[in-house]
Amino acid sequence: MISTFFINPFSQEAKKIVKANGDLNKIIEENERLLNIIEYTTGQILDDDSKIPGSLWELSIKRIEWYLEKKNRQRYQPGYYRFLFNPKIAKFDVITFHILAQAIGAKFNPNSRESRIFIESEGEIVKERILRIEHQIRDDIISKILRELLNCEKPHWIQLEKLLENRRIKLTELILNDGKVILDKSAPKRIQQIINPIRENIIPALIMQETQEYLHKVHEMAAKIEPHPILVELADKIQEKISQEFFIPKKTGPGTIKASKLDFDAFPPCIKNTMKGVKAGNRNDAIVLLLTSFLSYARLYPAVFKERKPHKVSDFDPTLNITLNEILPIIYEAADNCEPPLFQDDPQEKLNITAKLGFGLHETPKLENEGESKWYTPMSCEKIKIHLPILCKPDNLCEKIQNPLTYYNRKRWQKKKEKGDKDIPGSNTKR
Amino acid sequence: MFQEATPKDRKKYYTREWRIEKIPDFIRENIHLREFGFDHTGQGPNDRYKFFPNEKLLTKFIRYRAPYAAYSSVALYDRPWKREGWISSELVFDVDAKDIPVRPCKCDNVCEKCLDQAKEIVAMIIDTLEDDLGLEEIHIIYSGRGYHIRVLDPIILKSDSEVRSQILKYVIGGDVPRLSYTDFDGNIRNLDHFMVPLGYPKVFTERSRYIILHLNGDERIEDITRQTMNKILEYRNLIRADRWGEFKGIIGPMVYKRLIKGVAKLNLQLVDARVTVDLKRILRLPSSLHSKVSMICTHVDDLESFDPLRDAVPDFVKEKS
Ligand SMILES: [Zn+2]
Repeated sequence: MISTFFINPFSQEAKKIVKANGDLNKIIEENERLLNIIEYTTGQILDDDSKIPGSLWELSIKRIEWYLEKKNRQRYQPGYYRFLFNPKIAKFDVITFHILAQAIGAKFNPNSRESRIFIESEGEIVKERILRIEHQIRDDIISKILRELLNCEKPHWIQLEKLLENRRIKLTELILNDGKVILDKSAPKRIQQIINPIRENIIPALIMQETQEYLHKVHEMAAKIEPHPILVELADKIQEKISQEFFIPKKTGPGTIKASKLDFDAFPPCIKNTMKGVKAGNRNDAIVLLLTSFLSYARLYPAVFKERKPHKVSDFDPTLNITLNEILPIIYEAADNCEPPLFQDDPQEKLNITAKLGFGLHETPKLENEGESKWYTPMSCEKIKIHLPILCKPDNLCEKIQNPLTYYNRKRWQKKKEKGDKDIPGSNTKR
Repeated sequence: MFQEATPKDRKKYYTREWRIEKIPDFIRENIHLREFGFDHTGQGPNDRYKFFPNEKLLTKFIRYRAPYAAYSSVALYDRPWKREGWISSELVFDVDAKDIPVRPCKCDNVCEKCLDQAKEIVAMIIDTLEDDLGLEEIHIIYSGRGYHIRVLDPIILKSDSEVRSQILKYVIGGDVPRLSYTDFDGNIRNLDHFMVPLGYPKVFTERSRYIILHLNGDERIEDITRQTMNKILEYRNLIRADRWGEFKGIIGPMVYKRLIKGVAKLNLQLVDARVTVDLKRILRLPSSLHSKVSMICTHVDDLESFDPLRDAVPDFVKEKS
């Protein structure tokens, strides 16, 4: 039988286990029982001792490593991580989850890349574990977990508001009736078939949400109480793992879209329209949400939608020279072109621009503030149509893409093909 | 009907006919927390960030200035004169008769026909807000050229724009439902929206039916050719009779998929989405005059019996005719 805490680390049972076994001084000790379970896990490859975690400390790192490896498909070897899906490790796993959350929450900002990777990794683990539950018992376990997480199987949709806010689920994917989300088995047969996938999808989303809130709490606490040194050390180790993975720019493979000087000719119509200046009413969103994210990604990391890795501005611009001297001036100029000029009556929008680049609410981006907020990716065309319809004047290329940045990459590529140039795009492009 | 009001008309309206009591209670009880805005010349609401600590001062201002248009915020603020200290915002849907994506009439402003159509759309949206989302305290305001739906249910007053945009898409059918299920052999299969008689798929089916039955053939639907459009019009009676499966069979599954995608985009235009996602909007003040068409922005008590041409016409228009 699978315990629900193998999937839900926030259940009462899980909390009890952590309370009873969470002695931080013991987490680096080798654990016979854990090694034993791993050894007898079906499908586990055992040829390399260094790949097998012997302690809770090592298990913590494996948990994150699995996620990083899996994202990097070429080299991922699932055989080394089978133990993560063996329900017998549930107890160890729950403790590990809480140790990780404490370590990451204490050291990093809740919006930092490290926090996000931890949250995502938890979501992925949960998804995969659910997938592996046998059919006959799946329904029961899922019902139990839903009751643990929501207190019922027919929650009011407002209980899921945070998930909607973070777009972890869409309202239109749920079946609603009189304010309640139908997740139970009371519905007619055909409807049940639709509800099953919803039940399964909502659990990882809920757990990711709880994890995020948990990190927030730990982070607040850490400001008041010094965290245990072993947690600080673990956090450092995790950071090292993650930056090995992300601190590129690595060698770019064939077909990769590289960072380069901005090619203004390749901007999509909505961006060109924004740069010309926008009238009050649309001004703020156009400059802060659309242009800031577009220009920064176009200049520093145009491949974001291709690779989907959470990067920081400083991964590409370690001194922030490009950001301060190339990107911000263009944004500020566009802000000045607005009617009335944006900063004239909304000076605080400068802070918002900094925040959208990932540096929190400050006048200008500074390395020490990085991670206080998220580096926003450009709005999708769908969003632009809702928020800024006045700027959206689609041309032929627009119909084939869903995001202005994709437009930019496509157009640059087209231009390159036409010209037969080696380099995309010439830095001689005039503004 | 629908002629622009002169400054004299406005003065007449605001001194003789308008009374503060005509502003609905939900605004009157927190005048001091709302931002007001005015249009004095017909160029748009340029006079913003206005603050009135009480009814008396608002009354005085409105009577004296007889504005071209008057607005108040959907948000409450601690310091409305600076738009600071945000407390909450109503959830708003703006159905403008002149922007409905499928219009039976060819009028260039509004007419009885398109106002009726706006009313039908409002009724559909309110049903979904109540039946599916379980929302209460829903007010309808005739805006002069359409309707505002203003939801004051405490559970959504603090919601952010992302949540509001999700509600919007739900109530107007802005997303093509993605319905998959796992069959007994463990294969993932797809279901059509019209096969599911509840929840969002049902809303989507209803909105799409509305759009398809109201097409007049001139609309441009993305990826749909003239020829296909004719076929859709020819066979749309099947949809009227709820025979979606047959309809899909006749126009072909691939074309159907494109049609449904295009219809979802038209659905998105049933309301002005920007109004819904903006937490700091100002909306026409109920009881004020919509000078462009000489109609009164009116709180609607009973949508079914409400007739703008009887209930929202100011005295100066009646006197002229
Ligand atoms: Zn008309």
